[in-house]
Amino acid sequence: MTPFESRALTAAIYLLVADGVAALYLGDLLGLPGFLLLLALVAGSWWQEPLRRLVEPIPRLGAVLVGLAGGVLVVEIVTAATGMLDVFTHLLIFLLLVKLYTLRSLRDARDVTFLAFFMLVAASPVTTSVVFLGLFVTFLVIGTWLLMLRHLLYEADIMAGPTGRIGREVLRLALAASVVTVLVTGLLFLLIPRIGQAALPLRPNVSRMIAGFTERVQLGAFGEIEADASVVMRVHLAGLSGASGPPERLPSLRWRGIAFDHFDGRVWTVSRSTLKLTLRRDRPVPFAVHRYYGGPVLTQEIYLEPIESQMIFGAPRLLQLDTRSDFVTIDDLGNVAVPLATARAHYTVESEPEADDPRQADVADARLPHDPRWQARYTQLPAVSPRIRALAREVTTGSRDAYDAARRLSAWLGREIAYTRVLERPSVEDPLEDFLFVRRAGNCEYFAASLAVMLRSLQIPARVVNGFQRGEWNPYGRYYMVRLRDAHSWVEVFVDGAGWVTLDPSPRAGAETVAAATPALLWLDSMRVSWYRYVVSFSLHDQLAVVETVRRSTLSWSAAALRPGAWRPGSKLAAAGLALVVALVLAVGWQRRRVGAGTEMPAFYARALRMLARRRLAPGAGETAREFAARVSAAAWAAPLAQITGAYERVRFGGAVLAPEEIVDVDGALARLALAVRAKGT
Amino acid sequence: MSLRALLARLRPQRTIRPTRDGWWCLGAAIGLGFAAVNTGNNLLYLLASLLLALIVVSGILSEQSIRRLRVRAALPEEIYATRPAWLGARVLNRKRWLPSYSVALEAGERRLYIARLAAGAERLVTWEATFAARGRQRLPGMRLVTRFPFGLFLKAGRVVLDDEVVVFPAVRPLDAAWRRRLAAGSTRSLRRRGRGHDLYNLREYRAGDDYRLIHWRSSAKTGTLTVREMEAETATNTRIVLVGDGRRDAARREAALSEAASLAVHLLAGGAAVALAGPGLHVGPGRGRAHQHRLLTALALYDPAITGPPAGRRTAGMSEIEVALG
Repeated sequence: MTPFESRALTAAIYLLVADGVAALYLGDLLGLPGFLLLLALVAGSWWQEPLRRLVEPIPRLGAVLVGLAGGVLVVEIVTAATGMLDVFTHLLIFLLLVKLYTLRSLRDARDVTFLAFFMLVAASPVTTSVVFLGLFVTFLVIGTWLLMLRHLLYEADIMAGPTGRIGREVLRLALAASVVTVLVTGLLFLLIPRIGQAALPLRPNVSRMIAGFTERVQLGAFGEIEADASVVMRVHLAGLSGASGPPERLPSLRWRGIAFDHFDGRVWTVSRSTLKLTLRRDRPVPFAVHRYYGGPVLTQEIYLEPIESQMIFGAPRLLQLDTRSDFVTIDDLGNVAVPLATARAHYTVESEPEADDPRQADVADARLPHDPRWQARYTQLPAVSPRIRALAREVTTGSRDAYDAARRLSAWLGREIAYTRVLERPSVEDPLEDFLFVRRAGNCEYFAASLAVMLRSLQIPARVVNGFQRGEWNPYGRYYMVRLRDAHSWVEVFVDGAGWVTLDPSPRAGAETVAAATPALLWLDSMRVSWYRYVVSFSLHDQLAVVETVRRSTLSWSAAALRPGAWRPGSKLAAAGLALVVALVLAVGWQRRRVGAGTEMPAFYARALRMLARRRLAPGAGETAREFAARVSAAAWAAPLAQITGAYERVRFGGAVLAPEEIVDVDGALARLALAVRAKGT
Repeated sequence: MSLRALLARLRPQRTIRPTRDGWWCLGAAIGLGFAAVNTGNNLLYLLASLLLALIVVSGILSEQSIRRLRVRAALPEEIYATRPAWLGARVLNRKRWLPSYSVALEAGERRLYIARLAAGAERLVTWEATFAARGRQRLPGMRLVTRFPFGLFLKAGRVVLDDEVVVFPAVRPLDAAWRRRLAAGSTRSLRRRGRGHDLYNLREYRAGDDYRLIHWRSSAKTGTLTVREMEAETATNTRIVLVGDGRRDAARREAALSEAASLAVHLLAGGAAVALAGPGLHVGPGRGRAHQHRLLTALALYDPAITGPPAGRRTAGMSEIEVALG
């Protein structure tokens, strides 16, 4: 092994190990201190030779050290490991360190490669980060290089032969092989059938706790709400049918999460009497959620980060839901929940956006129910301050109908009350009274709660809804990025003939000035979504879609190809160009083959030509061997030359290998030819 | 097309066998595949795909490395039984652009490794082999194999170099009795320098002369080192006759054939014309390397099943040596 090869091998090993350790850190299988400690230990193993020279003279010290480390590992696994994955990770780290500190043979290099690979395996169930892609590709390139280099060195080692100084060449070859491996990996990833669902959770809890969206609205808290810019949801608008214009231009887009029907004076909750329906899916069909009123339909593909909620978000009114889960719970508030087993959810919903003026709608299914219990439920109120009731009446004086009253109240709140995220301690017992008459400022929850309470005080059915605002449009990925700070509350009021209609009294949009993301950030986020969309959440459904797309494209292309008259402008030119390229490739290939076949002239024929050259006989330009033999057929050497020419043609153009008897015959013919050439008078 | 030809055509061009590392890789791929199916985790699918892709790429590169390599035997002209012979094979890379990496010619435990063979280049690899017996012998046959690029699979081509070669009987220096017999009866001197037994001349020692040829008495008389020059001598033209058929005692027969071959080589080296006769066997008198080849080939291919009196007639002016086959 040359010094270059040795250095290259060591560098590849340590790069691969670093990649594996980074994967463990990415998957949160190592904390920062553990990560740094492990890196230090790995770096320390670089000097394993001097360390081993120190340890080896002391009998059994090495074994004791390994035994101690093993003992610590067992204790650590028993006491600290929280799941199978942690045990696996700790075992990997232990084996890796043992290997690195005893690294001697090329076989150890192979073992280290496997261990680094399994570090990526360990990280894979607990991360969905796009950084994993970088680590994966890095591993692929370095791993290919290492395996190739190791193989060549190993072969040269066991054969006690030189490697032919091909170390640098291996690097180029490994890069080319890596590119091919990436392509084949992608193809196999697409083709391997997706079946089954998680049946063996490797780590029980992988979601993270975030604030912003909550499944209840509580008033009376104080302090400053921090605007968290973390993206929690990405909404790709897949299509809008029944309406014109791009779907992202739809007015008042928001993502409804949960509606509340019960208010106790401080907290809005979902009442216990809510009718809940758990649906189980037997076939791969979407779950129906709400009745369709006949308007346009907006399709949304949503990627939801792990939040401490099982709610399904989507533009109101949710018509149907398509998700991986076979169970869905729907209640009569229109709240939809699924048990989210994975760290990140991906689902598709169809919604029917609300009409601009709901009073013009006259849907039979959306009539005001005459059920007193229903009426009581959506007009339920605790003891409310008379000032609030009076304010509601005052603002809505002269209203034509319930919807007009609701709009007046909403407009009044937006006009008269200020939006703020700085909540001060209420000076009176009732937080709404404090909001409306004392502070006259608050966040969206106060606005929504005030409007709902005032509507209910007027016996207009209303409920508070939590969800997210529209978010920021990402033109690169064509989706809305919804951040934590976009969490929002609004009100749904029931309009006879139109059903539940959204009203947002909060003047939040005007109060908040949020810096838009830079193009680079938007592009990076779009890449992250692509990673998640096409790799992390790739499903059987997607596989079938790919197959269907390929099938349709093939059919449409083949059908179009048979009708040249129907080709689009330029297609004929492209087809002609393609045909030309194919013809050129074939011609060059044929020429190469022809030339290639002729590169090797058998030695016996070359010898025969040399003999004939003494008699100034040589094949002319463009003259074939057979023509040459025929030209000199009158001479005494015609017979042996014919025999040699026959053998020459079979070897050179037929690729034949002469049998021993044939070689003897050819040798004889050469001898006869030599005699004939030397003889005088011929 | 005969059945054998058809079967030969159907036989796969290559055989592939996982190495120990390859078994590990396959095991890991299957395990990961199981984990991926069980958990529905696409990153596990991705890693399983990587392992499978490595296997696919390994297949592509190993095929690229081994394809269009032609192996031709490079055998010595004379192979003698019981004497080590250097056999060779010329490996030619017939690809126009791409080199071949890490290929080996393998026969049993023997591996002849070529780390890199450039496009269009040829490499001669040699190995030592000893054949125990004379006659037509089949070469052990070698296969082009490669573990390139990752050492996961051993890919092997078809067996090549399994041709027959003719192994001559063992040729040994003649023992003292034979040398005396030949020297007494049938050698004659030529009036020129050579390696015979009679003195031709005495001259002053020159660097490189054989010390054994120093004539000590003359050196003592003249005070300068003096060496003997010997006369060239040649053996009498001889016909070697194999007597008997040697069917009863194979060991004696083979020893006799070896003796006949040794005699022939010795006589030919001395410049004599040698003929050979035996049951169903006749090689006329002749001299030189080509004739020696013919004689040894006849002895190598002697078949004890063929019986009868020695073929051919005694040529005038040739002495005759009988070698009993037993």
